[in-house]
Amino acid sequence: MKQNLRGLSAWCIAAAVLASPYASAQEQPGLTPTSIRIGSFGALTGPGYLYGKLAMNGVEVVFDQVNAAGGINGRKLEFIREDDRCDPAGAIGAAQKLIYQDQVFALIGGGCSNATFAAREVIEKAAVPFLVVSSVHDGITTPPAPTIFSTALTSTIESKAQVEYAIESKAKKIAVVSMRDSWGRARYTPLMDELKAKGITVVADEEMSPDANDATAQVLRLKQTDADAVIMVLFPKPAAVFARDAQKLGYKPLLIGQTGIGDPAAFEDQVGIPGATAKFRTISMVKYTPNDPEMEKWRKLVEAKFPGDRLSVFNLFGIGSAQVLVEALKRAGPDLTREKLVAALASIHDFPVDVFGAPITCTQADHRCNKAPAWLAKDPSGPVKVLSITRVE
Amino acid sequence: MLLFSYLLLGGLTSGVLYALVALGLVVVNKSTGIVNFAQGELFMFCGFLAWTVHVQFGLAYPLAFLAAIAGGFLLGVVTDRVAFRSLAKTDVVGLVLATVGLGFVLRGTARMIWGGKGDYLSFPPITSPEPVMIGTIMIIPQQMAALAGALVIMLAFAAFFKFTRAGKIMRATADNAKASTLVGISIQNVYTLAFGTGAAIAGAAAVLAAPLSLLYPDMGFAFFIKGFAAAVLGGLNSLSGAVVGGLLVGIVESMAGGYIHSNMMEVAPFLLIMLVLIVCPTGILSLYKARDV
Amino acid sequence: MGLFSRRNVLAILLLLALIVPSFANAYQLFVGNLILIYVLLAIGLNVLVGYAGQLAFANAAMFGIGAYGTALLQVHLSWPFYLAFPAGALIAMAVGLMISLPALRLSGLYLALSTLAFAQFAQWVFLHWDTLTFGAGGFKSPPISFAPLPLSKPVGLYYLSLITTVCVTLFAQNVVASRIGRAFVAVRDSEIAAQSLGVDLLRYKALAFGISGFTAGLAGGLYSQLLNFVSPEGFDLFQMVIQKSTIVVGGLGSIAGSVLGAAAIVIILELLREVKGAQEVFFGAVLIFFVTFLRGGIVSVLQQRLRGWDEPLHGTRGTDAKSAPQLRLDEKESLP
Repeated sequence: MKQNLRGLSAWCIAAAVLASPYASAQEQPGLTPTSIRIGSFGALTGPGYLYGKLAMNGVEVVFDQVNAAGGINGRKLEFIREDDRCDPAGAIGAAQKLIYQDQVFALIGGGCSNATFAAREVIEKAAVPFLVVSSVHDGITTPPAPTIFSTALTSTIESKAQVEYAIESKAKKIAVVSMRDSWGRARYTPLMDELKAKGITVVADEEMSPDANDATAQVLRLKQTDADAVIMVLFPKPAAVFARDAQKLGYKPLLIGQTGIGDPAAFEDQVGIPGATAKFRTISMVKYTPNDPEMEKWRKLVEAKFPGDRLSVFNLFGIGSAQVLVEALKRAGPDLTREKLVAALASIHDFPVDVFGAPITCTQADHRCNKAPAWLAKDPSGPVKVLSITRVE
Repeated sequence: MLLFSYLLLGGLTSGVLYALVALGLVVVNKSTGIVNFAQGELFMFCGFLAWTVHVQFGLAYPLAFLAAIAGGFLLGVVTDRVAFRSLAKTDVVGLVLATVGLGFVLRGTARMIWGGKGDYLSFPPITSPEPVMIGTIMIIPQQMAALAGALVIMLAFAAFFKFTRAGKIMRATADNAKASTLVGISIQNVYTLAFGTGAAIAGAAAVLAAPLSLLYPDMGFAFFIKGFAAAVLGGLNSLSGAVVGGLLVGIVESMAGGYIHSNMMEVAPFLLIMLVLIVCPTGILSLYKARDV
Repeated sequence: MGLFSRRNVLAILLLLALIVPSFANAYQLFVGNLILIYVLLAIGLNVLVGYAGQLAFANAAMFGIGAYGTALLQVHLSWPFYLAFPAGALIAMAVGLMISLPALRLSGLYLALSTLAFAQFAQWVFLHWDTLTFGAGGFKSPPISFAPLPLSKPVGLYYLSLITTVCVTLFAQNVVASRIGRAFVAVRDSEIAAQSLGVDLLRYKALAFGISGFTAGLAGGLYSQLLNFVSPEGFDLFQMVIQKSTIVVGGLGSIAGSVLGAAAIVIILELLREVKGAQEVFFGAVLIFFVTFLRGGIVSVLQQRLRGWDEPLHGTRGTDAKSAPQLRLDEKESLP
């Protein structure tokens, strides 16, 4: 009755009342003598949840470990998640809520590319330190924002690595199959630019939908051009459908993947046809796959904290990134400010992180801290092996 | 010619998956006049149920099949009893939104239960995974199994609606609910049975399709929209129309991809639909179907 | 006119809306602006679906066309915002009118499907026509400045949205109370009867689609400025579900319902942030709850409980879906 109307205005007024004390409380938002509040936004719902929710699970596991050991300079880490639904408006709203309502000290996260890119302006304006975990959009880190750093392999880095690999493998005719969404395009454009820069013309440029169940058309078109290397800018499902249909139609080129298909063992399982992934090579942001014995300790932690889940590469993205943030927080010292955290992040040089391919290095000029794609492959009846770890400049 | 036959086959294989979804939609619509916008999510959820039984707990394949169908039926019955009790009296937008809401609930639940297990879960095929040669063409046996399954479902339900008492009761309710009440039919029971059956079909479809499409919480929508298109193309009330519509959508996709360019594949079925509905506003097949009395 | 009549309630909400920027932080101002944009969308959609009874799913696409139109005119042709904004809305309206033509022959679920197909087609165009729309990566729209007024961009945009919303609300209330509104209701309740009364179906369907297209276009233009970023993601079928929710929750066939429903849905979505990953489940439950238990939406509850709430009687009264003529087309077709 009257409650409905009163309720509506009450929300507005209550929100206002609640918001004001926060603003005047501390000079450094999100900091108390015993805690540091870290926020994260990414997709918790919708198809992007792999790069959001699962990555955040990894971050949380690392934070738990740190807290169990006493925290950082006496402060425990408090972790707040927000959903952006892989939508630019959602990301802007989530970032604003974390910054202005929840008053976080710093941010770690970022899943879907367009969403994180849209939120960049908000974060930059508020000068909040932000470490990107999974978003690959080049525009997030180029031109560099003073407080935004990334441990994700950005699209340009991966595309360069893919082209280099194709050239090294002496492929004569290169074809590209890509997804048309924002993730796919974020990779496709630098890929085409890099190919052009190297003077290579692709013999075929096909598209697949993220939900495609049949790739006969694409495989036949590629087969007609005799392409011997196919660069796949695809998520595992369309890539698996492609690999399966290629095998079915007797087309066996070199299949070059990327971080989206970061686990060759899982991929082999998804394709389903024995032997179809024999010539599949892929890049990963992290140099281990979940089944690696080295990852046992993380597996135990993740599967204990999130019962029912299995360790996945997405968890590992978060795990790696969180360790970098923790190190920077440690280096910034007990007298913590946002500026000091930013300076600490920029000073990270050759810092080894167990999951990443090479030690992490950020510089003042370049905030892309991970430039070491790891090349992985799996023989049909063998384990996953790391072929090489490239260093891209 | 070989290109054409491969594309045709490719189109048929994806078309069968759409037909399976469309069949579930048509069965529910034939009995209640409602289009269940959650059909794709039911399909997805039952697929995960089958995965849990067979892959996670290692039980026998037929048990997984049974679990999917029974689980689907139960899910349909429960949602009808809990949520759709009084749906008959609601306007169309409300109906649509209620089933959409159900879809969200299923998707969110599936994501919470199974989302952390991997990005796309694989489900073993009922047949061997190796492609086989039939004549000069290679096919994957599971695709044949899916086609066979779709035909079996279609024939079984055609017989059900035509010959059994329950089937006739369901058709009567869809035709005119008020009149059905007058002759003593309990509409609530019919609705429950209809939702249960539609969901059970989604379960059967999922087990057939999962090896080909992989399992992930968001797979429902893409299947629903193509299945819905297929069902409407076939006339929304016709089981054979659903199958033909599904195959048609798949073939159009494949042909457009093969002959024009792969970037047309996503949009070709929708262009087809817009065209068809302008020319025949009630779907292709209903042009040739008089109403069964 | 009772104390809680529609006019008074809406006036109170307007007063509240006017003072929001004085105490809201950036996040709350953003949400407030978002509410205004959804009110615009809800009003247009309610005119089309609630009053004229056209089960159309293309509104999200029109929203997108408005956003893309406005922003692209600014980016490609360097038009100033005050020109690009109405122009974008007009483009969306033109598209809406275009869709109304096939809508003449289609109704019920067939109309739903064809507008769904159009929405998917629009999404495909946003993604593939790179040279025009910048494709999947989206693009940044140039932020407007409100100089010489002493308003920051977020606050200025908020007031611009408020003014637009108030104008559209008044316009819509006048339209639905007029002969046009009655014609819409006639078309919704029975096309055949309406025609026999001399109601020109084409004209009124086109009008309904045009109005909803125009308001969606206005909403799109404001949205492009709210985010300063336009990409295909925000205009998909999830967006369509949100829009439909606003009118069903608010009340079909009610302009006041559109206002309340839009505010309710946006606020619910923000409140659902509390449940983190379980949002989808809760949102679905909310939808089911409103449809099954609060049929007729918020305004129906207000009408029952608030003395003085004067909702005109042409909200949809929950016709029996079984006998609704639109659904059973094979029945119609077998008539000579």
